[in-house]
Amino acid sequence: MPTKSRTTAKPAISVEHLSVHYNDAPVLQDVSFEIPNGHIAAILGPNGSGKTTLIRSMLGLTKKTSGEVRMLGCHVHEIRSKISYVPQLFQFDRQFPMTVREFMNIVRHAGEDQNLINGKILEVGLKEEILEKNIGMLSGGELQRVLIAQAILNNPDILILDEPSTGIDVVGEAAFVGILKHLRDKHGTTILLVSHDVAMVLNLVDSVVCINRTLICAGPPKRALTERKLADLYGSDAHLYEHHHEYHNHH
Amino acid sequence: MDAVLALFHFPFMQRAIIAGAFLGILFACLGVLATLRKMTFFGEGVAHASLAGIAIAILAGVAPLPFAMAWAVIIAIVIFFLERSTKLASDTVIGILFTASMALGVILMNFSHGFQPELLSFLFGSILAIQTIDLIVIGVTSTIILAWFFTYLRQLTFLSLNQEGAYVAGVPVIIQTLMFYIALAISTVLGVKILGIILVSALLVLPAATSRMLAGTFRSYLIIAIVVAELIIFSGLAVSFYLDLPSGATIVLVGTGLFTLAAVYKHLK
Repeated sequence: MPTKSRTTAKPAISVEHLSVHYNDAPVLQDVSFEIPNGHIAAILGPNGSGKTTLIRSMLGLTKKTSGEVRMLGCHVHEIRSKISYVPQLFQFDRQFPMTVREFMNIVRHAGEDQNLINGKILEVGLKEEILEKNIGMLSGGELQRVLIAQAILNNPDILILDEPSTGIDVVGEAAFVGILKHLRDKHGTTILLVSHDVAMVLNLVDSVVCINRTLICAGPPKRALTERKLADLYGSDAHLYEHHHEYHNHH
Repeated sequence: MDAVLALFHFPFMQRAIIAGAFLGILFACLGVLATLRKMTFFGEGVAHASLAGIAIAILAGVAPLPFAMAWAVIIAIVIFFLERSTKLASDTVIGILFTASMALGVILMNFSHGFQPELLSFLFGSILAIQTIDLIVIGVTSTIILAWFFTYLRQLTFLSLNQEGAYVAGVPVIIQTLMFYIALAISTVLGVKILGIILVSALLVLPAATSRMLAGTFRSYLIIAIVVAELIIFSGLAVSFYLDLPSGATIVLVGTGLFTLAAVYKHLK
């Protein structure tokens, strides 16, 4: 059971007629969808379909041409403290002298307990010893978990992740799926992730948003992601197979 | 021992040492984040660009330090907005502005007749150059900038490491980045009196780079950078005093020596 009540009628995320143009060239056209509270949702689409542009424009990192984005019923700039974002590429100088504890601490709200950091590290399946390690010494999977631990430090209502499973092996991916389900189930966090990994996503999410410059389909994955929609999304060679409650994409 | 105490005997040395103490902390702190943000060329650019402000002040017969600071702040704000509006690389924008402003300074100095000892002290730095009013300006301004720096250190570090994450988390990225540019510009001009326009940016780089060789945590990185900055300035001033050498060049060479030792230590460790 979620520790927080998130049973408001308003969706956690609402996007209406969102369009983004770069130099007059349309990148996204008239995208509308809603993500209910406490859902894990995935934005799916082929390379260059505008997935990253969609979340960047939702967060105000890329200027939208038209449309409206609301999170928890508010404009994004009004509720920034309730949103966390883990970017696709966290590039930093790996020689930079900073421990994981210090890295976590830079986002800690003033006055909050230091022990919060230890708790969040345990929550993403890492051991407390990692807090004294330098961030440059972490493996790809460890860094991904630390980034999530940092993102959830202040208990956001909405967590947005761009291609979070990039660079993680199969074992790390399974752990990652477990962490996101834990955040949804324990804290009721609404999670929106961008992914190209259909198999991983379908095993995890409550709803999908499929785009290829415009909205192809949205809703619960089994209902929204039909063979026909998949073909619209990835081309006619794309198929969806179900094995042992898992989906695999072949395209 | 008497020779050491002689350092503190002369009022000009007392002023230089006190100013150096403020500048050491200031440059170490800003240098740690400037190197992280790959902004060390900014210090170089603003220092050179400040020549125009100094030239205008000398021609107008007013105190050069406040005027140069105001000029540097304008340059910093223009760099900030040009980076965003033109999408040109930071070093390109800085390269254009610093050469244009320095060229303006050279042209203006052409209208000034006779020998200009004050201009020379700004170019190369001088321990004789720190007057009481300069010391007050350096002390007050450094204190204000350091108060801002330590109040917002976590925000500044967050946006230096992950600007987009910081923006989404509600850090006022534009305001804090602009403040950082302005703080860097003002500090650079404050350091010009001792180190000179040509060499002042070394104080932004050397303590942070030396500390980087030795530190394992961000906290120790900051502390070691401050200790190294103070060591470089005091040793440089002392050598400059006893050997009658230009203060800026001496401080930079002492700093380079310390950095070399730290780099060798890291290599051997």
